[in-house]
Amino acid sequence: MGTVTYPQERVAKFIQLNFIPVQFQTSNKAMMEKFAISWTPTILVLDADGREHYRGVGFYTPDDLIATLLTAKGRWALDTDQLADARAIFEEVISCYTASNAAAEAIFFLGAAKYKMTHDPKPLRETYEELKAKFPQSIWAKQADHYRLINK
Amino acid sequence: MAMEICWLDNLAKAQETARKTNKPVLLDFYNPQ
Repeated sequence: MGTVTYPQERVAKFIQLNFIPVQFQTSNKAMMEKFAISWTPTILVLDADGREHYRGVGFYTPDDLIATLLTAKGRWALDTDQLADARAIFEEVISCYTASNAAAEAIFFLGAAKYKMTHDPKPLRETYEELKAKFPQSIWAKQADHYRLINK
Repeated sequence: MAMEICWLDNLAKAQETARKTNKPVLLDFYNPQ
């Protein structure tokens, strides 16, 4: 990541604009233990109270990292009850990073954000149908499978 | 000159800045070897 992905200017701009970036080497045993890190690279997205909202392990290409971190920011917004922001972020991932692994996750959590905003279960059914059509093999399609029981 | 990521090494400071700016913290663990 340090030699391929982070040096890309579009990645640096994206991270500086959207996050407060912190980096620790594996030699920082206190932090490795605090966050139960057993393999690197590992990225976490935390809120201002240090609560974890996203964890990713392994290498990301520049485009995959941006799509993944944007989805992670959406989950942070969803978890911290910034629902309109979460919805906008997930919609951006779905429209701009269509082919990324993160798009399926964004579809799943867009349904959650819409439901939390309206308490209408129809978006959850739509989530199931969209995941089944676009990402049938993804874990998110399986996670959304029970939404098929919701009436249209 | 290309823009680079300005990584912090102080989590408490990062959390304080995150609170002021309403941004999440990105925490990256890496092996330099």
